[in-house]
Parts: sequence; C-alpha cells; structure tokens
Amino acid sequence: MQLDSQERDDVLLKRSANGDERAFTDLYRRHQAAIYRFALRMTGNSWAAEEIVQDVFMMLVREPKKYDPSRGTLGAFLYGVARNRIMKHLERTPRDFSLDENSELGRETYPQLCEQMTPGHWAELRERRDQVRSAVLALPPEFREAVVLCELEEMSYEEAARTLECPVGTIRSRLHRGRALLLAKLEMLREVPKRANAGRG
Amino acid sequence: MTCEEFATAGLDLASSGIDAQLEMAAREHLRQCPHCAALQENWLSLREDLRELGAEAARAEASPRVEMRLRQEFRTRHKTVRTQRTAFILGWSLAAAAALVLAAGWADWYIHKGPDVGTEAHTSSSPNPAAIHNANPGPHSDAPVQTESNDVIVASNGYGDFTPLPDSILASPEDATVVRVQMQRGALSALGLTVNEEHAGDLIQVDLLVGDDGVPQAIRLPQTSTGVSN
Repeated sequence: MQLDSQERDDVLLKRSANGDERAFTDLYRRHQAAIYRFALRMTGNSWAAEEIVQDVFMMLVREPKKYDPSRGTLGAFLYGVARNRIMKHLERTPRDFSLDENSELGRETYPQLCEQMTPGHWAELRERRDQVRSAVLALPPEFREAVVLCELEEMSYEEAARTLECPVGTIRSRLHRGRALLLAKLEMLREVPKRANAGRG
Repeated sequence: MTCEEFATAGLDLASSGIDAQLEMAAREHLRQCPHCAALQENWLSLREDLRELGAEAARAEASPRVEMRLRQEFRTRHKTVRTQRTAFILGWSLAAAAALVLAAGWADWYIHKGPDVGTEAHTSSSPNPAAIHNANPGPHSDAPVQTESNDVIVASNGYGDFTPLPDSILASPEDATVVRVQMQRGALSALGLTVNEEHAGDLIQVDLLVGDDGVPQAIRLPQTSTGVSN
C-alpha cells in the first residue's frame, strides 16, 4: 500500500514537473491536509499554516528536482520542508501563538458537544481544551513536533522518526520530555485558579 | 521498576506496542507507588485531551485559495518555460534556416561561377576542348542552344562570325559543335593565332567551332576578349 502510494507520488511528481497541472493538483490534494494540520498545530495560526503550505508546494512547483526518491517518501520530504518553514516562522515570532477562536482548531466538535452537555460542562471542557492547546504551543519546538505527530496525528514512533528524519530513540526521548513538560504546565495552569479561588475564600 | 523508569517507559502502558514484561513490571509498580499512579492518571487524562484536540482539527485543510494560488503559479511558471522553450527552438530554427539558405546560395554560386576560375585556369593552358563547360551564349552567338547536359552548345546552321583557324578546313555546319572554353590568351598561339605577349597571361573565354573529329576549326572571340589578332 505504502509502495503503491509512493510510486503514485513519484509518477505524479514527474508528470507535474513536465507541466501536467492535473498531476500537480492531485499531488497537492493528497498531501496538503497533513502538512496544513502539522503547520497549524505547530504554529497555532491558520494564516501562518496556509502560508507554510503554500511555500512548501511552491517549492515543489519551482524546484521539483529537490526531491530525491532514494532518500525517502515524498510525504516525509514535504514534512521536512514544512518543518524548516515552521522553524523559521517560530524564530521570527517565538511567542506569537494564537488562541484565536476563529482559528480552525476546535470548529469541528464544539457543536456536537453542545448537544450532549450542559453549558457548564461545555465551558469547562472548552477551557480545559484551550489550556491543553496553549500548553502544547508553549512546548519547545522539538518536543512540540514529537507531541503533535505522535499524540495529535497519532503516528507511530517509527513514522514520526521517518518524518522528522531522526532515530526512534530520539522521538521517544523528545516525547517523554514533551509529556513531562505538558503535565507540569497543565498542573500549573490548573493550580492557578485553585489558588486564586482559595485566596478569595 | 523505579519511579524514574516508570516515568520514561510506563506512561506508554496504554499503547499496544509495549513489551509484555515491561508492562507487567509497570503495573506492579503502579500498585505499589501512589505517586506514579497519580502521574499515570494525569497522563491518561491529558492523553484523552490531546486525542480530542487532535480530532478537532482532523479534517482541517488549507483553504481553496491556496490551491488556486498554487495552480496559478504552476500555470504561469510552465507557460513561461514553454514560451522560453518555444522561443529557443524558434530562434535556433531561424538561424539554421538562414544558414541553410546561405549555404545553398553559396553552393549555387560556387557551382555556377566559382569553379570556372579554378578549373579553367588549369585546363585553358591548352586548347583541348575537354575544358568545355556550360556557358550562356555570347552576344554574337546568334543561334547556339544550351543543352541540359551543360557541356556542349550545338552550332547553328551557318558559321556566323566565327573566324576560321589557320590551316583548318571548315566542315559542314551540321557536323560542327560550338564549345565555349576559358583559357589563357597565350594558349591561342597553339591554334595558330598571334597573341599580344603583354596580355598572354589573361584569362579569356572563346567559342570554338569543333568538327566531328574533335579538332577546332574556327574561333569566335566574345567582344570582351580583346588583344588578339590573327
């Protein structure tokens, strides 16, 4: 299955490099969502994520020969390019992560939750999710990408290692550190309201 | 299993890929250590939150305007490349065509004009009619006809303005052939004509009336060939 997909990518890329717009569109539609989600979760900003997706595929339009099939799959290559762009973006705006409700994160499930829960539960859940989201975005980029790929995208360690072009052990280690930081951060975030309430009492 | 080992490997208890022996040790440690049990509980809760967070954006994708921009860029780029390629091919085709025309022109000139000088310079040293070549009839030739073979000019009926060569007997006009040759003026002396020594080296064209035995019988000097007297 993986081989077929890879072969298909190679064929599409070759046709695209020869000026076949349909092949390029197919290629884009096959990979854009994953790249977009990765960028969105890493930056927390839908505008930046779209810019990154555009940059990644623009590179594929301008320099298709940069991709070497012998070094890995096209998907991993695109993730690698996206990762570089994300890192540049984060360097430029290190603390500029958005908790904007208009971001695409969170649009999908809230209406469903509204039907099943009381407003109080729904507000609590939403607050908790915002805390998790901000905690993820506050992680250092190398830990964040491990958490995004393994926990949010639910990739296996091996897939994440291939995507980030690093050993599986590195992924394990980053994930372990990322989880620890997340737990600590969330603990801290949840302790602050408790202390504030205790102070009032 | 220690607390540190549990924090490193034990949190993966819920995942299916964990080693069975490690899982047993982790579960054993969980029963004995309330701190790690709390950690595990927190982690499972966080993991659930992360899954939900992941599910929220599971179907998120870039807006159609990104695809539109990329396709526009793709079209522009490949159109530019195609235009450049077409211009390149067209340019080289034009250059090749021009070169071909020039070569054909030169070859045409060389065949019709160029070899006259080179080859005739050698053959004209003798009055041998082998130096016959194609030429337009001279202004005084009132009837010679150019043949397709480019080698002979058939004589007309009558001798016209040909001058008989010394010691030659004129054959009947039907048996004679007019040939045009280029030769050095000095070579005319071999035909019994008197030549001005000062112009002996000049190249001239003459029409010879050659009999069926191959011997020149009469000569006609075009008006441009001067300095010969008999």
